[in-house]
Amino acid sequence: MNRRELLQLVATMTGMAVVGGEAFALNLGTGLSYTAGSSDIRFRLTAREINLLDEIAETIIPKTDTPGAKAAKVGRFMEVMVRDCYTKAQQDAFVDGLKNFPSLCLEQYQKSFFSMSAKQKHEMLVRLEKEAKTFNAGQSERDKERRHALDTENKDNDFARQKEFESLPKHFYTMVKQLTLLGFFTSETGATKTLRYVAVPGRYDGNVPYVKGQRAWA
Amino acid sequence: MDENFYDAIVIGSGISGGWAAKELTEKGLNVLLLERGRNVEHVKDYVNAMKENWEFPHRGGRTQKMIEDYPVLKRDYPLNETVLDFWAKDSESPYTEVKRFDWFRGYQVGGRSLMWGRQSYRFNRWDFEANAKEGIGVDWPIRYDDLAPWYSYVEKFAGIQGSRDGLDVLPDGHFMPAMELNCAEKHVKKRLEEIYKGQRHLIIGRSANITEPLQNRVNCQYRNRCWRGCPFGGYFSTQSSTLPAAMATNRLTLRPFSIVTQILYDKNTKRARGVEVLDAETNQTYEFKSKIVFVCASSFNSTWVLMNSATDVWEGGLGSSSGELGHNVMDHHFKLGAGGTVEGFGDKYDFGRRPTGIYVPRFRNVYDDKRDYLRGFGYQGGAGRGRGVEIAEFTIGKELKEAMSVPAENWGFNITAFGEMLPDHSNKISLDRTKKDKWGLPVLAMDVELKDNEKRMRIDMVNDAKEMLTAAGLKNVYTYDNGYAVGSGIHEMGTARMGRDPKSSVLNGNNQVWDAPNVFVTDGACMTSSSCVNPSLTYMALTARAADFAVNELKRGNL
Repeated sequence: MNRRELLQLVATMTGMAVVGGEAFALNLGTGLSYTAGSSDIRFRLTAREINLLDEIAETIIPKTDTPGAKAAKVGRFMEVMVRDCYTKAQQDAFVDGLKNFPSLCLEQYQKSFFSMSAKQKHEMLVRLEKEAKTFNAGQSERDKERRHALDTENKDNDFARQKEFESLPKHFYTMVKQLTLLGFFTSETGATKTLRYVAVPGRYDGNVPYVKGQRAWA
Repeated sequence: MDENFYDAIVIGSGISGGWAAKELTEKGLNVLLLERGRNVEHVKDYVNAMKENWEFPHRGGRTQKMIEDYPVLKRDYPLNETVLDFWAKDSESPYTEVKRFDWFRGYQVGGRSLMWGRQSYRFNRWDFEANAKEGIGVDWPIRYDDLAPWYSYVEKFAGIQGSRDGLDVLPDGHFMPAMELNCAEKHVKKRLEEIYKGQRHLIIGRSANITEPLQNRVNCQYRNRCWRGCPFGGYFSTQSSTLPAAMATNRLTLRPFSIVTQILYDKNTKRARGVEVLDAETNQTYEFKSKIVFVCASSFNSTWVLMNSATDVWEGGLGSSSGELGHNVMDHHFKLGAGGTVEGFGDKYDFGRRPTGIYVPRFRNVYDDKRDYLRGFGYQGGAGRGRGVEIAEFTIGKELKEAMSVPAENWGFNITAFGEMLPDHSNKISLDRTKKDKWGLPVLAMDVELKDNEKRMRIDMVNDAKEMLTAAGLKNVYTYDNGYAVGSGIHEMGTARMGRDPKSSVLNGNNQVWDAPNVFVTDGACMTSSSCVNPSLTYMALTARAADFAVNELKRGNL
């Protein structure tokens, strides 16, 4: 599976184009005067924050008969991706969500995410996923308006005045889930233990038997 | 002898320049091969070739820093961390977009031969006749039969895998054993051939991947990582193929970091006497002299060199007396087609990562078919069994992990159309002297757009795809048109076209500049029309043919 297909799969599973992966979907006429969040801003998460991201990710992709998200060091991966690949607005939304997460846990369960039972963790994330769906739909609606405003401002579609459109940040949970899926399935353990991978196939066979349940190729 | 004197100078080391260097050295000439970028040594410098995806910090993605540094490259797939080394930095080499033009460049030894798509097709006999017949642009000064032996010649050496299908519209060549169609593709092929009674075909994409050992190259290992440079030499590139052959003659001098700023033109002899080079690292200027010059710097940069040469004689540069230098820009327009699912193969899977797909040769405006536009298009694509099965919304945990770890229920099938673009005088590039690159050199300004013929063709490109896939029994058929920006086909052509008359073309039938017969342009710039097939194989054949002609003319004392 190539990167583009993977991004598509993750988008399907999270109901949203992958944050930081959207450059694939640039529209005609855009692409000038891009002012992105500068990646040399020092962006660092604390060890506890990384652990928390690992813990959330492990709830989304747990250890089964194969290792889960924690073994794939998905928390560390998220830090790198948010630092280097997110725009400033996306980074801010991610950090806000992360900072706010512990108090959400306290509010709803009177304990930290780490001390919650597996069932509680699962329940909380499912609730967040529902909340994220509504939130993201609102953002998409607002994006439509902003895009319309941009188009109106440049009615004659003057090439020199076209600006790149940056969509509003998605819900924190959506970002975490996307990064979890992306990070896990492209990790060494994800690719070789949960999925199957042969580095140098040496031949091609387009007609091999498949028995239901066999793992997919990475 | 003057140490700066060579029999021949070749500007550019990509697909065309590599072939020129090989042919000219093998025919006994001392050759200086100039490349504007750094050296890339075969295998040794393919720094990402053996890395696994998880070894890349962003798993093959793109960072905000990359997006800032590559405002053009970011518009499409080439911008990612696995191949970044091989694409020219936009910030160092800007250009002007009068209209949007996506220009993706490879500035290093090997040029874009390192990251090309490798699809390799011959033009057919109608491709060479259509301009004259339809009154478009100018007539090609050659016909298919002039080029056919040279196609064979380059196919044998480059190594092209493909099937022999006996089609007029896509002539067979000297092929290595074809890569295999997978079970879903075979099924669709059979259906299409039944439904269209042999008028439409589906074949394996012919590509410059070797399926048997060739020279010192190991056959393809089915990793599908060609664009990172292949440590096995499994695909054709300058490094894997033509450069070692040229080196083996001991008559090749390769000089990286050499930006050719102009061809030095002698008014009295009406010949080039050499080139001026700006060293990209030291900014020093050098002159190198030669009997002949092969300009293979990629279409637009070859044209740029001509525009900057002999400006004391012709204001618009060498070859501009025709009024056509920089005009008639062509690319292939694409990014639209259809897809769907092929049911009934849930008990089949594949092994290995095949570095080519399928090809549906042109069927529009051939034989008795007549459309409301000229020329036609082909489809590229293929079938694959994706990953992931549907699950209920808001499912996480074990079930989600499981659902994303197994193959999709059915095979997916997708085709993208690649259409011919007509030469049009108003589609042009020119020098923009108000803007300078990192070396203080003027840049190009692009003023190119799709015209009505292409726009009408695009309607068929989508509809025909949908009709064929539906007829073939695919389910969930969808169509798409992602919009095409000129240049993004990375098949720039036509800005110094061949022709029969110096008043309307820049080059003659042997790729000689009419105004300087010892200057040959054999890359995409020389193309008189674009066909709808990928053009690189044609550049190889034209280059080998022109090199043969040049050496014979030198021997006869005509140059």
